[in-house]
Amino acid sequence: MKYTFIKLFICLSILAFSFQDAFAQDGSSEATVQEEDRSKIKFNGLGRAILSQTGIGGDILNSDSSTVENNTDGEFLLDLAINAYPNKNTEVQSILRLRNEFGGFFGAGVSVEVRELWIRGVIAEIMKYRVGDMDLVMSPYTLFNSPEDGSINEPMVFQPQKQVIDYEQFYTDDNTRRLQGAKVDFGLDFARVLDDLDINAFATRIRGTDFFTTPTRFVSGGQAKFTTQTFDDSLGIKADVGLNLVHTFDDLQSGNANTGIRNTVYSVDFDVTVMEKTDMSVHLTGEAGMSNLATAERITNADGDRENVTLTEEDDSFLEVGATLKLKKQNISVSASFVDIGPDFFSVGAQSKRIDYTAEKSFYNRIGTDRGIRQPGLFDLTRDRSLYTFSISDRLMAYDPRYANTMPYGRATANRQGIKAGVEYGQAGESIHARVDAAFLKELRGQGTFELKNFTLVRASADFNIHQLAGLKKKLKATVGLQLESTSRGGQEIEKVDLNSNLIELGLEAELFSKFDFLVGAKLLQAEGQEYIPFIQNFNDVQDFPGAYIADDTESLIGVGFKYEFKEGIYLTLQYNTYSSELGGDNPNNYDLNQVFVLYNMKF
Amino acid sequence: MNKLFKFNIILFAFAALLFTACEHETDTFDGPNLVDRFGPFSVLSDLSASQPTVDFGAGETVFFRAAFNKNVNWVLEITGMESGSVKRIEGFSKDVLMENATWDGGTTNLPLFVAEECSVVLTIPEEPDYIGTTTVETLSTKSYANSGVLFTDFETDLGPDAFVGNFEFEFTSSTGRQSDMPAEGNSYFYLEGTDNVVPNFFVGLIDISAAVTGETYVPVSTTVPEDLYFNCFMFSDAGPHGLAIVDFIIDSNDSGAFEDGQDATYRVADYDLATWEGWRHISHPMSETGVSQEELEKLVGIRLLLISNMNSQPNPPLAVDFGIDFMIFTNGGPLEL
Repeated sequence: MKYTFIKLFICLSILAFSFQDAFAQDGSSEATVQEEDRSKIKFNGLGRAILSQTGIGGDILNSDSSTVENNTDGEFLLDLAINAYPNKNTEVQSILRLRNEFGGFFGAGVSVEVRELWIRGVIAEIMKYRVGDMDLVMSPYTLFNSPEDGSINEPMVFQPQKQVIDYEQFYTDDNTRRLQGAKVDFGLDFARVLDDLDINAFATRIRGTDFFTTPTRFVSGGQAKFTTQTFDDSLGIKADVGLNLVHTFDDLQSGNANTGIRNTVYSVDFDVTVMEKTDMSVHLTGEAGMSNLATAERITNADGDRENVTLTEEDDSFLEVGATLKLKKQNISVSASFVDIGPDFFSVGAQSKRIDYTAEKSFYNRIGTDRGIRQPGLFDLTRDRSLYTFSISDRLMAYDPRYANTMPYGRATANRQGIKAGVEYGQAGESIHARVDAAFLKELRGQGTFELKNFTLVRASADFNIHQLAGLKKKLKATVGLQLESTSRGGQEIEKVDLNSNLIELGLEAELFSKFDFLVGAKLLQAEGQEYIPFIQNFNDVQDFPGAYIADDTESLIGVGFKYEFKEGIYLTLQYNTYSSELGGDNPNNYDLNQVFVLYNMKF
Repeated sequence: MNKLFKFNIILFAFAALLFTACEHETDTFDGPNLVDRFGPFSVLSDLSASQPTVDFGAGETVFFRAAFNKNVNWVLEITGMESGSVKRIEGFSKDVLMENATWDGGTTNLPLFVAEECSVVLTIPEEPDYIGTTTVETLSTKSYANSGVLFTDFETDLGPDAFVGNFEFEFTSSTGRQSDMPAEGNSYFYLEGTDNVVPNFFVGLIDISAAVTGETYVPVSTTVPEDLYFNCFMFSDAGPHGLAIVDFIIDSNDSGAFEDGQDATYRVADYDLATWEGWRHISHPMSETGVSQEELEKLVGIRLLLISNMNSQPNPPLAVDFGIDFMIFTNGGPLEL
């Protein structure tokens, strides 16, 4: 069955190319053809200075004399982007980073590195290419960088630190992944049936070999997206269809490293406009596909020839199909979908998380008399860039069920079946923009038991531009985020799961003077109950359950500060954050963190 | 064309749904059973033996029974009250039963069992409070003689088929067949001596001719060195200075007998007698000695040497010793105890 999609992909591609009226075009959204009067070299970039003082307190320090109670840290950096245009069809960019840690002197703590390097251009006025660093995204099940846990509608007061994380880890609003390699894309326009067709393909290397046990790893793939012309003018029927293919593989000729993985994911995604009228529209959307995961070894066969043999292999499928109704006059959008993602569905490009919960934290990684590793909390997720990663993991990463248990690996979370629904009111920037999403899912295959978990997730967010509602000249904006999550499982007492968590975000942004804002916000987490968190080995295999995960936690993060924006992209903010972690009542390991920081950020 | 394309879209959508039909492998679950992993433990049925006596020599077996409320790692240990032999059976299950706890008279720790009363103890490492006990009496022992080509088990006097080389008169009078602690049967061969006459590491040797098998050459079942395994039981008291050597003698000059200096000898390595205490099952394919297939057709004898490691001996040197029993060649793998 896994070849069926490939055949389908090829057939549709041939079908598309067979139209006689097709002709090539640039087909790109990014302008790369340079104008005659453009400068040969341009400079821009980003400068940042951050200084922070972090302190720790609470019950855990009562018997812990080895933890430093205050820690001062900071950095100064300049990312200098140099764009060169050797000819009208070629552009080269290099970002050089100069960084100095706070307290560094006489060269200590100073680093100079290349942060980004790429070249791009157009071949024969038809095909665009890019070599070097690039940000790629396909569909949520193939290549996608899902948003991080612990954030719904981030209050503005916490956003400067999040923006630093996003910048450092190359996160974008389009959920792209930072990769290094080469890609090409081109487009075709059609006169009949199809409106246009865009095709892109890429090949990237995400890991080098150590020549002993770790082989070089590559991610390659491509996408063909086409839009049909309108079939019925009265209803506006048309379809946007994408065919996606991602193949992650190890080079088994990397020295002695001759065992590796093969992960292939292929899918078709579609957005069929069933009706498009002035007052409403109806869309049928979805994606369906399959994954194949195999381990392979390069051996010498009986004839003395080298060949790759498959050691293990598993396939599984996924399906998400739904409909969206947009009531344009009422400014309301309603959607519902059915999802079915197989237990063995595995997609490294879509399931790798932004947060690596096993990474070493920058501040107070170990605390207490036993020097235990501190569990990452809202404070860390909001500010600690060392917890974040853009790399693609070859196994399902660890997760914290308090922040995300229904879909810890984003929409591509395997072993889920159920219904999702959502309602959205307004648009970003309007006086009120609100959204509510819900998911009612269950496991398809049990973990440690035949009993299945049921998940309920409700996420709501709202932006209130009060100054628009009240007719004020200066900006006054309130934001709200809410996440209610419940996980349950029946069975014998030892099998039962009953974990509930609530995450609330509140934010207020008030412009006191021109471009001078007062910011205040809070994030509150409450989690209670029992769950079992699997220990994953070999891609997605549950090796063990280290023990029952029992939560009786309350976390609160409050931030207050000021922000002055000199101009767009250039701002200075001074903030105070206080954080409290209570891991059950009277727990001697409860602690508090607080920080004062000043951040100057400049894009030029 | 429009209608056709609409049809194609519908067909495409259906095909996509069909190809990704929601069929998944759900007849199992991921990871270990939570009840096994974390559930409370209780005994549903205590340990018992299928029969109070067993005659292994007649081909009988005995199995043991017990039942628990969840899967556990269990260890069944059968100990000969007279021989001290131990048979250990391990498993992971809720039930101890014939399929996973049958004893055919085999041994895990040498010596071999004799006709004796045996204690049987069932333990669960994860549940240290639990212990199940029973007894079983062995009327006769399992026979290993048909497991391969027996070279000698020292049950009878080797007579002229054995030559004891006590050239430097360093062997003690204990050297020879003994019956105080055989690994198998009633006798074994014991070598003991002190390298204090001519301090040259060499204490003494015994050459055992293939004639003990009734043939000129040992009638091995295969001459493929990789397939032919040599087995013996070797005893050591863990003395720190002794080395044992087993040489395989090939009749290079086709005389039909062993002539020292003319015939080739092969060995695996010195056995460091300091590295274990008690009886030990030694087994290796003949390919480890470097002997060829052609040479194995002319295996004319086996030489046992007792060496005193003078580099580590005090002054005056101490006695060294080892015992050996049940020398047998097996085909395709080690002797299964």
